Amino acid sequence: MLKKKICMVGHFGVGKTSLVRRFVDSMFDERYLTTVGVKIDRKDVMVGSETVTLMLWDLAGEDDLEQLKISHLRGASGYILVMDGCRAITLAKAVELQERITAQLGPLPFVAVLNKADLRDQWEVQESALAEHRWATFETSAKAGRGVEEMFLALAAKLLP
Amino acid sequence: MNLLGALGYAVFERIGEGSFQLSEPAPDWLPAGSIMEAFPFLEVFLPDAEEFWANEQSRSELYSDLWTQNELHFCAIALRGESNFLLIECAEQRFQQAQSFVQYAHEASLARDQIAKLSRELKRATQAKSEFLARMSHEIRTPMNAVIGMAELLTDTSLNDEQREYVRIFRSAGDNLLNIIDDILDFSKVEAGEIVLEQIQFNLADVLQQAVDIAAVRARAKGLETAARIEPGVPALLIGDGGRLRQILVNLLGNAAKFTDRGAIWVSVEADTDKGVLHFSVSDTGIGIPADRLTAIFDNFSQADAATSRNYGGTGLGLAISKRLVELMDGKIWAESALGLGSTMHFTARFGVAEAVVSAEPVAQKPLGDRRAAPRSRGLRILLADDSAENRFLIRGYLKGSGCSIDEVENGALAVEQFKRYAYDVVLMDTEMPALDGYSATRQIRAFERERNSRPTPIFALTAHAFGAARDRSLEAGCTDHLTKPIKKATLLEAIDKFVPSAAPSDRTEVSVEEWLKPVVGGYLEKCRADVAVLRVALDGRDYDKIRMLGHRLAGTGGGYGFQPITDIGGALEESALARDIARVSASIEDLDRYLKGVKAG
Repeated sequence: MLKKKICMVGHFGVGKTSLVRRFVDSMFDERYLTTVGVKIDRKDVMVGSETVTLMLWDLAGEDDLEQLKISHLRGASGYILVMDGCRAITLAKAVELQERITAQLGPLPFVAVLNKADLRDQWEVQESALAEHRWATFETSAKAGRGVEEMFLALAAKLLP
Repeated sequence: MNLLGALGYAVFERIGEGSFQLSEPAPDWLPAGSIMEAFPFLEVFLPDAEEFWANEQSRSELYSDLWTQNELHFCAIALRGESNFLLIECAEQRFQQAQSFVQYAHEASLARDQIAKLSRELKRATQAKSEFLARMSHEIRTPMNAVIGMAELLTDTSLNDEQREYVRIFRSAGDNLLNIIDDILDFSKVEAGEIVLEQIQFNLADVLQQAVDIAAVRARAKGLETAARIEPGVPALLIGDGGRLRQILVNLLGNAAKFTDRGAIWVSVEADTDKGVLHFSVSDTGIGIPADRLTAIFDNFSQADAATSRNYGGTGLGLAISKRLVELMDGKIWAESALGLGSTMHFTARFGVAEAVVSAEPVAQKPLGDRRAAPRSRGLRILLADDSAENRFLIRGYLKGSGCSIDEVENGALAVEQFKRYAYDVVLMDTEMPALDGYSATRQIRAFERERNSRPTPIFALTAHAFGAARDRSLEAGCTDHLTKPIKKATLLEAIDKFVPSAAPSDRTEVSVEEWLKPVVGGYLEKCRADVAVLRVALDGRDYDKIRMLGHRLAGTGGGYGFQPITDIGGALEESALARDIARVSASIEDLDRYLKGVKAG
């Protein structure tokens, strides 16, 4: 069976863990719980007629003290670059992470995600600023479950030949 | 390795690269199957561990990062020795500790961002609201001016009593509405941070009196006593924004008068030397404020209770504006009250002190409605005749800062000459002078006035003689009053205030006009000047109706444009025309003429 490692990366508090939880368990917890180290989950999905096991590596969000360990992306087939639409700084952080990952691991497939679409009226990430990067971008709400599955499946499809 | 097994580690011996053998009994949390299958995290740790095992120089153990799978938290440890080992630890305690630290840092950081964001939004929203209010106020004011102006013109047409009453109500409602709009505009300016306080010299007593004069109109109508008191130790001349201070006082006194049906309202000022601030109190014997509302009344659009707005009207913005202004003056505002007995509004404010002059005696409690009690020496044109340079210096010093302009001459002959050339509000005449003494000079001035048929100007004799005879001699010569040297500042000011005609403020008055009124003020004053001519014709023809009508219109408009004296004189005209008091009508017309000749809108 096909197995693919996918990493969740982004600034802390953008909803990486919640997206995985929504995708894997169809659940959402209002409470914010910081991820320490790596949280690993798996989920089988159908891409076309093929079943693929996605190994979801949810990497601790980067903050001022702790940098993302690029070594955790070893062996990854792709990654999900997560931003919080409500915090402009998370876009800047995503840009920085994407550059660092590409510099060390080469061009890995990824999708960009603007999470917290349920709070769209409070968004401060400028669409024009985001558009500059020409990323394949999904708007998701881990809370409402909107766009989550589509986003994971889109990346999974990207990873298959 | 028995010990490690006993400590709860899953212990694997490294047999070869990527090959491990369990060397202790398996802990119950260890999944069955291959170690690589069980712990995907090892994919990223083993390359580091292999490097570690291969390097003899490195330390004796290598810890992996923590990872989580199936709700359990793990850590891997590579050990080097005679054999190499890989340990897996179910690291619940270590995880909880690390998690709580990072969680704390992240939550604090998120909260800080959230606060910064909210504060940005709040600022933006407040700005937007203020701009909206300011724009709306302007938009409303333009048509309101037309409405009120039309009502004024309507007043001049022939109306029956009923119609006249309707128009009066219509006008007064319009005036009220404009006041409310002004409040809103002012408030939005304060909130948008657009108000910058002036730093100019002002006379505290003047400001206090002006505020009290305004409140006295309402107070008198309700039969309330009014009083003002400046405690000893309060500097007379301050540096700051006197206009805004007056606005606060007018507001507090206005509220006091509004919520008091019988009794008194009064204001006092004392110096709080410890804090270097002035402490103002405005008290009343009114309905009082419930204890649980004492703080909330300073909030925007807030009154003591909803019924207040029904019974007493108002926007509830006055105190909010006052609070902001007081804060701009580096002060605090608070309220004390006993329900049914009255309230006292306190505020402190910091001002610069213009001179080291401290009022020597407390200003006595005086009835506020009584205009003679008010120091009104401001803006007067004074002729001072004295041969002693020292005396002239002294008097000049007394009047410094009062806004008076003083012309000085050294003898009686020059005094007469000067008087014939220019109009003066007051003459200060030394009695003993070379060339022509004060008595003779006064006689000549009075003769000149009689020829010109003009009203006698107050002339104060300044003599060193305290005896009754000297006073008689002055009065006989035509002096208005007699002041004995050495003259005290308070005596001089009091005398001037006492005898300067009440409705004749001064020859030259600069009135500060609100920005939005500036374009129309010139036209308004022109119209008033034209009214003087009409009034004179009406006086000649004893047309009391016409005089009353014009008086009424002047009374209704002057203050609105910022020219309170026009309103006062208009009121006097209206009254005296109604009483057919020809002398008073005539005097009022001259007062108006004089005021209009001197007034300048700035």
